[in-house]
Amino acid sequence: MKSFAKGFHETASESKNLMAVRILLVDDHPVVRQGLRTLLEGRTGWEVVGEASDGIEALEKVQSLHPDVVVLDVTMPRLNGLEACRLIQQKQKPSGLEVLVVTQHDSPQMMREALDAGARGYVVKSNAARDLLDAVEAVSQHRLFTALARGPQASR
Amino acid sequence: MKLRILLADDHEIVRRGLCALLQKHEGWEVCGEASDGREAVEMAKQLKPDVIIVDIGMPHLNGLDTTRRLLEHDPHFRVIVLTITDSDQIIREALDAGARGFVLKSDAARDLVSAVEALQSKRMFFTPRVNDLVLAGFLEKGHAISRTEAPNLPTLTAREREVTQLLAEGKSSKEVATVLNLSTKTVETHRSNIMRKLSLHSIRDLVVYAIKNNIIQIQMPPQIQRPTETTVA
Repeated sequence: MKSFAKGFHETASESKNLMAVRILLVDDHPVVRQGLRTLLEGRTGWEVVGEASDGIEALEKVQSLHPDVVVLDVTMPRLNGLEACRLIQQKQKPSGLEVLVVTQHDSPQMMREALDAGARGYVVKSNAARDLLDAVEAVSQHRLFTALARGPQASR
Repeated sequence: MKLRILLADDHEIVRRGLCALLQKHEGWEVCGEASDGREAVEMAKQLKPDVIIVDIGMPHLNGLDTTRRLLEHDPHFRVIVLTITDSDQIIREALDAGARGFVLKSDAARDLVSAVEALQSKRMFFTPRVNDLVLAGFLEKGHAISRTEAPNLPTLTAREREVTQLLAEGKSSKEVATVLNLSTKTVETHRSNIMRKLSLHSIRDLVVYAIKNNIIQIQMPPQIQRPTETTVA
């Protein structure tokens, strides 16, 4: 029984890690997108299906690529991330797509704005290496994940 | 023998992106990564890299002062400054500090490899805007742009600039003393000297000075554009 329980646990854990997640990366800096990509592609089953460099391109790629999670910067040209998030929510909410905001702004006010715009998660860029994987995992399962620079909050 | 590159940026995600970009190039290796200017200077002393890539907006010691300090230690260091803006003042300060390369962060994926190649061949690399500014200075004045064209500011010592940055980042005198391994009294003396030299009267004034003079950089929130009927509480 003991060994069965252990085996069952491992299987469940593996299946959780292998859950396929299709991710769209949106940031106006290609170097940041590259950094995010190297982090995310280390996780088995996760796939970066596309990249966009501003909010308008993000809306187009959401329509064409049907990602599960959009990792979205805030300060971008043409259409900023908050406005893009609102528009994505208006058009895509029934599909179950979730938005994770990854931004330079270590600010509770900006975090509120992002959540009000419909984001399911909020991570500060300076701590993306610490928080990004947990955040994508949480929002891909439709759980809230918010973390300012001092650390994640108990809001999952 | 491989070209050894030291990266200094406070965002790990940016360092990862830069690493991925640079390590695709055969014959180059990232020999170290620093997350602030002080760490970059210490690592450069130990690792003696061939090229150092320095972000301007780093905590504790910004990229311009880091460049100055690196070149004070060893004038043969070759430094590329990474910046989010190429304003005239930033360009002047970067050139004045001794940077041999100047790359906009937004263009790093396109320009950084070319910049490192240029420095590897003992050449310099600047954005078209820097080239225009240098050329305009040469044509208008008959000489390259110089420090004298910058605003006529009182000169702070390297240590005073460092204290200014730490105070403007919100640290108390005691915290500054810990970071710089000085006594609180010494920091207070530096603080008084800075305020007197710059004719400032409060920490708020000091923060404004630090922002205006690129000692610290701030990220502005986006202009939120909403339909007029949507009011925000």
